[in-house]
Amino acid sequence: MTFKIFGKVNFTPYTKVEKFADALREDKLMGTRCKECEEIYFPPRADCSKCMSSDMEWREYSGKGKLATFTTIHAAPTGFEDMVPYTIGVLDLKEGGRLLAWVDNIPQEELKIGMELKAVPQIMEEIEELRVVYVLRK
Amino acid sequence: MELANRNAIVTGGSIGIGAAIAIQFAKEGANVAINYRKHDTEAKEVVKHIEALGRKGIAFKADVANFNDAQTMVRDAVKAFGRLDILVNNAGITRDSVVWKMTEQMWDDVITTNLKGYFNYIHAAADHFKNQKYGKIINITSINGLRGKFGQSNYSASKGGIIAMTKAVARELGKFNVNVNAVAPGMTETEMAADLPREWLDKALAETVMGRLASTEDVANVVVFLASEKARHVTGEVINVSGGQYM
Amino acid sequence: MKVGIVGIGHGRFGRRDDVTVQELAFEPFKEALEDAEIQKREIDATVIGSSPEYHKQRSISGVIAEYLGMNPQPTWLTEAACASGSAAIRTAFGMIKGGIHDVVAVLGVQKMLELSTPEILALMGRVGDVQWESIFGTTFPGYYAMYANRHMHDYGTKPEHLSMVAVKNHEYGALNPKALFQKAITLEKAMKSEMVAYPLRLYDCCANADGAACLILANEEKTKKITDTPVWISASATASAPMSILRRETLTSLPSAVEASRQAYKMAGVEPTDIDVADVHDCFTIAEIMAYEDLGFAEKGKGGKYIEEGQSKIGGKVPVNVDGGLKSKGHPVGATGVSMAVEMVKQLRGEAGKRQINGAEIGLTHNVGGIGQYCFVHIFGR
Repeated sequence: MTFKIFGKVNFTPYTKVEKFADALREDKLMGTRCKECEEIYFPPRADCSKCMSSDMEWREYSGKGKLATFTTIHAAPTGFEDMVPYTIGVLDLKEGGRLLAWVDNIPQEELKIGMELKAVPQIMEEIEELRVVYVLRK
Repeated sequence: MELANRNAIVTGGSIGIGAAIAIQFAKEGANVAINYRKHDTEAKEVVKHIEALGRKGIAFKADVANFNDAQTMVRDAVKAFGRLDILVNNAGITRDSVVWKMTEQMWDDVITTNLKGYFNYIHAAADHFKNQKYGKIINITSINGLRGKFGQSNYSASKGGIIAMTKAVARELGKFNVNVNAVAPGMTETEMAADLPREWLDKALAETVMGRLASTEDVANVVVFLASEKARHVTGEVINVSGGQYM
Repeated sequence: MKVGIVGIGHGRFGRRDDVTVQELAFEPFKEALEDAEIQKREIDATVIGSSPEYHKQRSISGVIAEYLGMNPQPTWLTEAACASGSAAIRTAFGMIKGGIHDVVAVLGVQKMLELSTPEILALMGRVGDVQWESIFGTTFPGYYAMYANRHMHDYGTKPEHLSMVAVKNHEYGALNPKALFQKAITLEKAMKSEMVAYPLRLYDCCANADGAACLILANEEKTKKITDTPVWISASATASAPMSILRRETLTSLPSAVEASRQAYKMAGVEPTDIDVADVHDCFTIAEIMAYEDLGFAEKGKGGKYIEEGQSKIGGKVPVNVDGGLKSKGHPVGATGVSMAVEMVKQLRGEAGKRQINGAEIGLTHNVGGIGQYCFVHIFGR
């Protein structure tokens, strides 16, 4: 499996953190941690921008976190017009790091900054191509 | 034991090919739920046989043509077994006639029972299979769905439709680790066949290259294979079990 | 050794379906030469600021220098997304300070409208981290909308505050013949406009535009020779911040702007209260509110109050974007930073007409790239 299955569209099929997409396919959210200086990375990185080491270990995340901010896109870029309007949220993860993802099935009026949500891996179901993402759920 | 600890539904499992499949499944280690529309005595016999093999067996009264009956049966089977792994769509009827004498009712009944019935059960089972990322769907079709049969425009249409539906559904569920295949028997020694005129059976026999008709076990064994892990990379496929009656 | 500005030029921003990118660049360049009253041959180099992704022509500095007749002088492109224009100014500033060149022409040039709106949205949206964000369909307004929601949550900033910024900038844009939009709007119109990315509506967002502007910079000696009304660059500072919103320490402030302005104030030896007039990067209304705070005009969280009290209007504590800002001028990406500097020069020369801040002596420009990964702050003096 390559990284190219990650996302509704993918701009970076070649990356050192390909393993992330393999894990996502198996319903796991994985981040990395620098073995030398202990800096954690979510989204994962293969190189430590703090101490310059490339000796990283992979760790599983629960996906739980708090909503840092959000918005609902009404004017969409190419490739996303069929989804309008869609809500994206930024989640501060419990174990550290952050992610950005679609909010799944929660009306915008119910979203409150600081509320607890969970990032859940998901296969995009109603398309023929195999694509995996994660979405934010209660 | 190819199907150890698996849980299966076999529609039309009270008689004929369906019953053979249900019993073969139980021999291979699976718990089986069957439905019957009117053959309640035979259904109870099948359940007894399954239980005698040490497996759980349930018979539900349900008409496959009824969308809600199918949803209810699948839901109840999952509740009883704890999980559903295999769905065999087998229930089917014939209402033969040349097309210009075929009534609207004859057409509708066959299409609804044979084709929509399979949709009803696949629709009910799909979410379970998707969520658990495991499932086996085997649709019993017929060589008549491939070659057409005189007097069976309705039956052939339903069986041909099943083949196309099998492939479409295989495409949709593949990414969730669900195999969807079809088995196309030729003339098989069943009750349905026993009602046919002698010369039809002789003609069928002559069409085979093996000089015999399929037994229900012949068909059931192939269904077992498709339901097992041995066939985990087979999907969207149609396997003929016709002794060469149609190639 | 000081660096001065001897000539300015500014084209009309808007839809320019009538010109190629080099034809577009010609207009403000010629204007700047005439303003400075110098010959082309006195210019040692041209630095072009532009975001190249929008043009079919590759490496536009080449065709521009050719068209302006500026071969064989050095020429190249500087890029920092929406701050490309200021990046070009800083480059020229550095070369003059370092004594490599005496006179340098800076051109901010951008053609955007050869692409369709969804194409532009997609392109501009890739200004975050495409690996982890753009795959979910983020857009440029979407990012600032996320800042806005957090700012509203943390500080009680209201949608009205956002619209007030739009109203102010359109009011001043109506006085600027080079602006894309030269019509005032009402608060009601702004607050009822179409939603683009909640809570940002149509009037909270700058428009895409084509445009070009030009500055001619010179060293101290040449500046004094060329002009009687020099404007000096008393500070040029810049800082960066993580490109990705997922790696930022704050969502209600741009750390690059805070750091760049801190350095600029230090370099120029001034405080925020000394600034007489400023052009800030109002790509979205919330960006202007955050800029009041990041630049120290208002306390943290009090940006909404600042606009509500009219402190950023002519006559207020620090008038901001009296040329209409990006909101009214439009945002031809590479040209914006240079356009801001042109306005400062006009103000400090006393040539800003109806928009003039009387006695303006110290001006500031705040030019942000992308969603805050780059910020350039320049301070100008007389």
